[in-house]
Amino acid sequence: MVQTGSKESSDQAAWLRRHAEEFAQQRKESFTTSSSREVRAVYTPEDLPEHWYRDAIGLPGEAPWTRGETATGYRGELWGWEFYAGFGSAKEANARYRYLLEQGSTGGVSIALDLPTQIGMDADHRLAANETGKVGVALNTIEDVLDLFDGIDLESAHRIFTTANCIGPIAFAWFWLLCEHRGIDPHSIVVTIQNDPLKEYVARGTQFLPVPASARLAADVVEHCTNEQLPWLPISVSGSHMKQAGGTCVHEAAFTLANAVCYADELHRRGVAASEFAPRMELHFCTDMDFFEEIAKYRVIRRVWGQLLRDRYGAPDVAPRLHAATSGLPLTAQQPKNNIIRITLQALAQILGGVAQTRTASYDEALAIPTEDAVKLSIRTNQIIAYETGIADIVDPLGGSWYLERLTLEIFDEVQSILQRVEKMGGALAAVESGWFATELADSAYRQQEELERGDRVIVGINRFVEDDSDDIKLFKLNPEAAMSQRRRLAEFKARRDAKRLAEAMDALRATVRDGRNCVPFVIEAVRVGATVGEISDLWRQELGEYHPQAQWLT
Amino acid sequence: MKATGHKIRVLVAKPGLDGHDRGVKVVARTLRDAGMEVIYTGLRQTAEMIVAVAIQEDVDCIGLSVLSGSHMEFAEEVLAELRQRDASDIPVVIGGIIPRHDVASLEALGIRGVFGPGSSITAIASAIRALADARGRV
Repeated sequence: MVQTGSKESSDQAAWLRRHAEEFAQQRKESFTTSSSREVRAVYTPEDLPEHWYRDAIGLPGEAPWTRGETATGYRGELWGWEFYAGFGSAKEANARYRYLLEQGSTGGVSIALDLPTQIGMDADHRLAANETGKVGVALNTIEDVLDLFDGIDLESAHRIFTTANCIGPIAFAWFWLLCEHRGIDPHSIVVTIQNDPLKEYVARGTQFLPVPASARLAADVVEHCTNEQLPWLPISVSGSHMKQAGGTCVHEAAFTLANAVCYADELHRRGVAASEFAPRMELHFCTDMDFFEEIAKYRVIRRVWGQLLRDRYGAPDVAPRLHAATSGLPLTAQQPKNNIIRITLQALAQILGGVAQTRTASYDEALAIPTEDAVKLSIRTNQIIAYETGIADIVDPLGGSWYLERLTLEIFDEVQSILQRVEKMGGALAAVESGWFATELADSAYRQQEELERGDRVIVGINRFVEDDSDDIKLFKLNPEAAMSQRRRLAEFKARRDAKRLAEAMDALRATVRDGRNCVPFVIEAVRVGATVGEISDLWRQELGEYHPQAQWLT
Repeated sequence: MKATGHKIRVLVAKPGLDGHDRGVKVVARTLRDAGMEVIYTGLRQTAEMIVAVAIQEDVDCIGLSVLSGSHMEFAEEVLAELRQRDASDIPVVIGGIIPRHDVASLEALGIRGVFGPGSSITAIASAIRALADARGRV
């Protein structure tokens, strides 16, 4: 716990006594943050331990990293604003990426994949019929990937991101081959592959292999990137989905760091130097509505990860790399224009938290894939914060706020204590496999729902200030022919392949998977000669086993 | 036909590939706390799997949770499978990211309750209880 001076004799205690009558008339008996932390009316230097500045805060761009990844913050480079997009076939999604880049998106191309692709199924799989091209774009073949980027200047877009998690090696192969096809140096762009299967079992749900097999494939991608000395981010360990599944800021930070330790331990075990893998690991989170807790969270995560890199892996000089996205969870289908304000506040919090790469949602996302107009408004939101408020000119402008610093210290202690608990359980693999992470999140989700139904947690338009009729906004309409045309494209593509070369590449891949060697170079060769996402994933299923969902009784 | 006063049994299911199960888990637990017996299927169920469990476990109501935009397709498939297996008396409700303009179409298909984003879980529990009670009286 955070140690501070004695309470009774303090200025604060005397002040409370002087105003006891006013405090008896407060709106509520107690005030709590979104993670059920009780907060006091006011914070003073008495709330911070001796030497807090020297030990826990310091200066930006160096240990303990609390105040920022770089010394110059946004004075050097503004945060990147990217917009996660993708639907239908490669051709349709391509038009949206071009629009975003034209409108001033600075985060490059951020690709949402459809569910079959993410789960290692092609459009012709029997379970893919209802889902092809729905929540993202269908990418089954290298040809789909080349079409997706048709006419997009890779060097000026500079960044590519995608949520391939359980198919990480395949996504790596796509972008490697895309560079090769375009004749550009893969070192000249930054590709981020989320490639974090652990949280899929906990919260996101695209897992299809046993847990250790998925973790192994993820580590293969990071190891291969270090072998190639690529400036890519081959893993973005993500807490965002765990928060959206019900976790608090503390769960989000701690579980993500535990998962990051699991991947880093595996790379360390393989003999990859921390100075090689650590700069290639990104940590990804989402920003919800509790403004100060969110800002404190980003400061804590940098400090904890920096400390782990130094003490556990011997890499004291590697700056933690964070990525933040506004959370879809607080966005409401009711009175959807209210979401514009929510998104603005969330964007502001993650910027004040000092995150270098960000993603911003659109106000109509509680209902459907965003329209072009809604996305444009989110681009403008970032531009207004960046160019009109002056916030970007000071590094960690809230540093030194007694409340924020106290929160930062408290959350730091709580995160550390969960990390120790996970370590005792046998690490993140054990915490994922035993369902401990998932149960903690489900309990927390249930508590939040109870608070909402009791009215202790307020969401405007849901349980307060409700209107009968919500604003009718124009929603995005998917092309109903997308799935059909994707199946047709796939069939034509399959018919054109050189069967002999494909069989040879698949045999070589199978042998590698059996031997336990890094499979990435062999996945590249298989994708090059036409192997599809579904075919490679099926090979993994055959060799590594399959995840099966479990039914459960609640009585 | 069932005797009145029996414990209501509900099957909550995630059809298709959508992995977002925060909502379905909260609903399952609420129904359990409201005194019902609840089976949660886990992810990635087909209509055939859902209806087979519903019949085998003799449930009073099926609750589907879909956040991937494929609610119309899955509603149609589950209802068709129920008809196929002569079990259309089991009421089906659906929750998830369902735009308002799809509510009427879902109801026209035969879905007995639609719970979009922001729905109250107590309202979901009462609706399921009413459907189960009505069925018990048939």
